This record gives sequence, C-alpha cells and structure tokens, in this order.
Amino acid sequence: MTDNTNKDLVICRCEEVTEGEINQAIKSGARTITGIKRRTRAGMGLCQGRTCQILVRRLLAKETKQKEGDLRPPTIRPPVRPTKLGIFGKNKE
Amino acid sequence: MSFRSAQVVVIGGGVIGTAVTYYLAKQGLDVALVERGDIDSGTSSACSGSVMMQTKGTGVKLKLALESREIYQNLNEELGEDLEYQQEGGMIIAETEEEIEYISSLAKKQRESGLSIELLDKKQIKERQPALSDCVLASTFCPMDGKVNPMKVAFSFAESAKRRGARIYTFTQVKDIEVSKGRVSAIIVDHGKIRTNIVVNAGGIWAPEIGKMVGLKIPIRPRRGILIVTEVIPFIVNGSILSAKYLMSKYATECKDKIKGGITEFTGGLALRHAKSGNLIFGSSREFVGYNKRTTYEGISFIVREALRVLPILRNVSIIRAFAGLRPATPDGLPILGEALGLKGFIIAAGHEGDGIALAPITGKLVTDLIMKEEPAAQFDHLNLERLVRR
Repeated sequence: MTDNTNKDLVICRCEEVTEGEINQAIKSGARTITGIKRRTRAGMGLCQGRTCQILVRRLLAKETKQKEGDLRPPTIRPPVRPTKLGIFGKNKE
Repeated sequence: MSFRSAQVVVIGGGVIGTAVTYYLAKQGLDVALVERGDIDSGTSSACSGSVMMQTKGTGVKLKLALESREIYQNLNEELGEDLEYQQEGGMIIAETEEEIEYISSLAKKQRESGLSIELLDKKQIKERQPALSDCVLASTFCPMDGKVNPMKVAFSFAESAKRRGARIYTFTQVKDIEVSKGRVSAIIVDHGKIRTNIVVNAGGIWAPEIGKMVGLKIPIRPRRGILIVTEVIPFIVNGSILSAKYLMSKYATECKDKIKGGITEFTGGLALRHAKSGNLIFGSSREFVGYNKRTTYEGISFIVREALRVLPILRNVSIIRAFAGLRPATPDGLPILGEALGLKGFIIAAGHEGDGIALAPITGKLVTDLIMKEEPAAQFDHLNLERLVRR
C-alpha cells in the first residue's frame, strides 16, 4: 500500500498527517515513531496512534532501512481509551 | 565521525541547547550540537508550552522572561515557522483568603517590577471566564502571559541552526570531556573526539552527569510534573488559568527542602490552557521522585479534582493522554547560567525547571553574548553556579 509513494495519502486520520509529512520528518532526523509524532502530530489525536502506528512504523522502517520489529513502540500512557474527567474525579484520595 | 573540531560544542538537544546552538550559528560561529537521543526527546517535549510572566516571581527571572517575551513576538518570522505563540493573557485564581493575600501581594510587587498585571473581582472573572465556578473568589490578570507549541520551538531552532551551518549530531552520547591547563580542550563522544575550547552544558536534568566529567557538582534535580491532555473541544477557557496553589507549590522548594531534606510529599495545583489545536492541556504535580517518568493514578486523579472544582463543565470531557516530564530543578528555583569558575570554556545553561520554554530564547542570546564578548552580562551574577555552591 505504501510502496507507491503518495505524499498526499493521509496516514494519521485523527490529526490528518500525510505520508509526505512523515517522510519529511524522517528527513529532518526522526528515527523513532515518537520522533515522528513530535514532529508531525501523527498519533497525537483521539485514537492515540491505534490506527496509524502500524503505517508510521512501516514508513519509518522502509526509509531508514530498519526492520519493523526492531523499532521500539512509542511510550504507552494512560488512559487506555478516552475517559471522562468525571470518572477520575469521583475517586477520593 | 567525519568532523574533528568545532568552535563551540553544545551538549543537549532540548529547547535550551537548540536555542543556544541557533544563536551561536546566527553569529557565524562553527557550532556542533551533541544529543544522546533525538532533538526534543526529554523535558522540552513533556510540558505544556507556557510562556507566562506571572509565574516568574519578581527578580532576575521576571526580567529574563520579559526579554524572552519580546523575542517571541518576532520568532515566527525569524525561524520561518509558525511556533503557535499566542499572547492571550493569564489568570492566577484564588479560592481562599490566604490565597487572595498571596496573589495580591505578589501582583503588587510584580507591578512595581514593570509587569502589566491587575486584580479581577468576581464579576470581572465571570466576564473573562464564564466557565469558572463560584469557588473562585479573586484572580489576577496579566495580558502579557502567553503560550507556544514547545515542540515546534526546539525543532525550529534546530532546523534554523542547521540552515546556518550548525552540525547536529543526534543519537550521539558524550562520554568524557578533556581539560588542559584549566581550559576545556575536547569532548569524547561514543564514536570519536571533537576538539573544542568551549562546551555549553545544556543537559537539563542530565546536566549533573556532564558536570561530573569535569569534577563539578551541579545541584540540579529532576522534579516530576504530570500533565493531562483532553480531546479537542471548543475553546471554553480564555488564555491560561493557574491556581494560586500551583504557584505556591512551585516556590515551596526551598523551605520544605530545609525541613525534610528533600520533598517527597505530593505538591501541585492547576495550570490549564487550550493548545492551539483545541485540546486542553493541564497539570500539574511537582514531585521529587528521581528519574521516574511514569504517571500515577494518584497524580492524575489529583489534577483532575483540581480542575473539576474550578471548571465543573469539564466533567464530560474526555482525557486522551496523561504524561509526565522531569523538570530540571535548582535549590533556589533559578536557572544556572554562566562559565564555571576556574574552568575556562565550560559554560552551564541548565536548571530552568518549568520555565525553560519561556526562557529559551533569552538564554540562547545571553549564552551567545557571553561567548562572543567573553565578558558576562550583569544578569550572570545572580545565575552562576557559585551562588549555589557558596551556601
């Protein structure tokens, strides 16, 4: 799917980040999925990279000639899915 | 590694190191930046992007912040990138009589230092922030407070520095620093050696490790701050809202350190604003827990309760992420800037705690001036390492 370079192809749907932008981030020095995220916002949206992480990983591996399996996953942070503030707020110390 | 020398080597690719590198390159110096990880991979990307003036106390730090603010006004054009800097004003809110006393007396002193700041009553607060609950009794308002996208700042400084000829070596670790006749002579990195007479230690929370290499004790400790990001929502908050409690905890270091020999208990308060994208970003805790960057359930719940008490409207807004950053804290809350006494060419630019984003441009300029002129500006008297060693 990503073999035919299509710079306008949207990779991160939440933040509308394209393949071209991700390749530009790699050119500017990103070598990790988190490095791409910080430069482009890919993975910063509502789904927190659940959809685009695989695609970002594939692009990064291809461009930097690394194995997909060797690329560290980005830091996993809570909450595991969007959670209303009211739920956290209910609990007393 | 193909290079063998540089006029200046900057250690650290956070917002301070990249700013220093940029201003040095702008002056035409041959500068190399060495960073163990990626640019902007530590403290500088784990923060909220505050460029606030009110949180800078009354002395030299406020003065530096005001100068930095001037630089931010035109930084987009200078770096050719939209840094999302917006000066939209900030409020410190008070919920008790004690807090009202605290914010009023601080505002009075800051006004005398040249800050534009006023006190708002309940009615004015409602006009500016209709979403705030009635538990807020009083507030300050400072139109000079602003925000920026912190990631864009570090990356743009780095990219602009590169365009001006700076060499940036990421994923490159400093192993040792060589000194000859009381002057820095080279740094050893994991795949080679760079000859240089000037090293800038912009290592942030890791600055003490770099200091050790030349036998210097740099009293910087990591102080954890947890932050929360919500989904994108309509703009319901104008500018920044900080609780007096937050500011009091920020400046509580010193007295508590003396009593307990290190804060271990949980302190913090509310600091909240919209990012330009519409997400709300808010925190924060302030804890000394070593280099532990994990978030805690207690920390997240504490911050959420602080937020819901003053902004109950957020009850049904969803959190999408919580993260933590380690701020480089000094014993007196001021950064360490200047050349180390007795070690020519070893310059420290670290220890900005939570003020790094706000102070990065002025720090970059001051360090560059110091290197170009070889004589320190007056500010350095208050900021050198010796002030902390003398104690």
